[in-house]
Amino acid sequence: MSINEDKIREWVEYFREAREIRRRYANWDFIKSQPPKIRIALEYYIETGDFRTAAKITGMGVDEFLDMAKDLAGIPTTD
Amino acid sequence: MVNAITDTSFLIDWIRYSKSKLIFKIFSIIYIPENVLNEIRSERTLIWISEGLEEGSLAIFPELPDISREALELVARSRRVPIRPVDYPEAFCLVVGRRLNFIVLTENGGAIALKSYDPEYSGVEVLRGIDVIYRLWRLNYLNSFKDELELYQRETKHIYSRKDLVRYSDYLK
Amino acid sequence: MSETSDVSSRLKEWVEYFREAREIRRRYANWDFIKSQPPKIRIALEYYIETGDLFNAAKIAGMSMEEFNELRIKAGIPSIG
Repeated sequence: MSINEDKIREWVEYFREAREIRRRYANWDFIKSQPPKIRIALEYYIETGDFRTAAKITGMGVDEFLDMAKDLAGIPTTD
Repeated sequence: MVNAITDTSFLIDWIRYSKSKLIFKIFSIIYIPENVLNEIRSERTLIWISEGLEEGSLAIFPELPDISREALELVARSRRVPIRPVDYPEAFCLVVGRRLNFIVLTENGGAIALKSYDPEYSGVEVLRGIDVIYRLWRLNYLNSFKDELELYQRETKHIYSRKDLVRYSDYLK
Repeated sequence: MSETSDVSSRLKEWVEYFREAREIRRRYANWDFIKSQPPKIRIALEYYIETGDLFNAAKIAGMSMEEFNELRIKAGIPSIG
């Protein structure tokens, strides 16, 4: 499969902006106050948007994790 | 009306929206893959799903070996590209979308990106929450696209980026 | 014309049949047991009571149909028809 490099560059920029949004809205006081497992999962999620792996780290269901991320940690879904 | 298939990322956001049931005005049936259902644990989402199943507007899409195989290949292929890959549930939905002409409902950037760079999946129609809201507005189920999008983002805590909004800039003035 | 009214009255009978089946499931269900279950199981049992749909109820619960059938027996919910 040959990939259009310009398209890839656009998407790299898109995901970078998504990460910025997550970082900007995050409630860092809440995140830093969490036990290591939760804190690491939330930080991982902010950086990557990968909610499945983040949920696995915490042992939560993906919807439970995203509810916590949104409602308590202030992290919106974006991509 | 057409059929759609939804992945976890779309479902988890959409059911937070106070007018979530309006989506059934656009689709005959919305399918939820078994692998997506298996990921859901929250009461709110499960109640929404069971009500939809009861009303006949939702149905569960089983794990089919053929589709599963292609979805796994897609997962592997997406990892060769230096951007967000797709996970199995999203890949499954894309394969169903391609094979059965279902509209794919997703908020997963990896799935949307894949559609744009993989010619095999370029024909799959993919809708995000913002696209569904736009369609509902065009069909006169909603009064103002701009106001409704703001409400949607507020209620679901899903923020659309500049690139997402640019497509609808004429309607967001 | 008479074929249409025949189908219509048969459909009405089936609607009544399913409504009555739901009433029976509701009446016999052990609601204390059901309410004590974790959300996924509770919602699956409630869905089963409302619809009699074992296939999808099992999927909601994340169980095989056989496992869910054992559960609905434990929950006192009869299978009708």
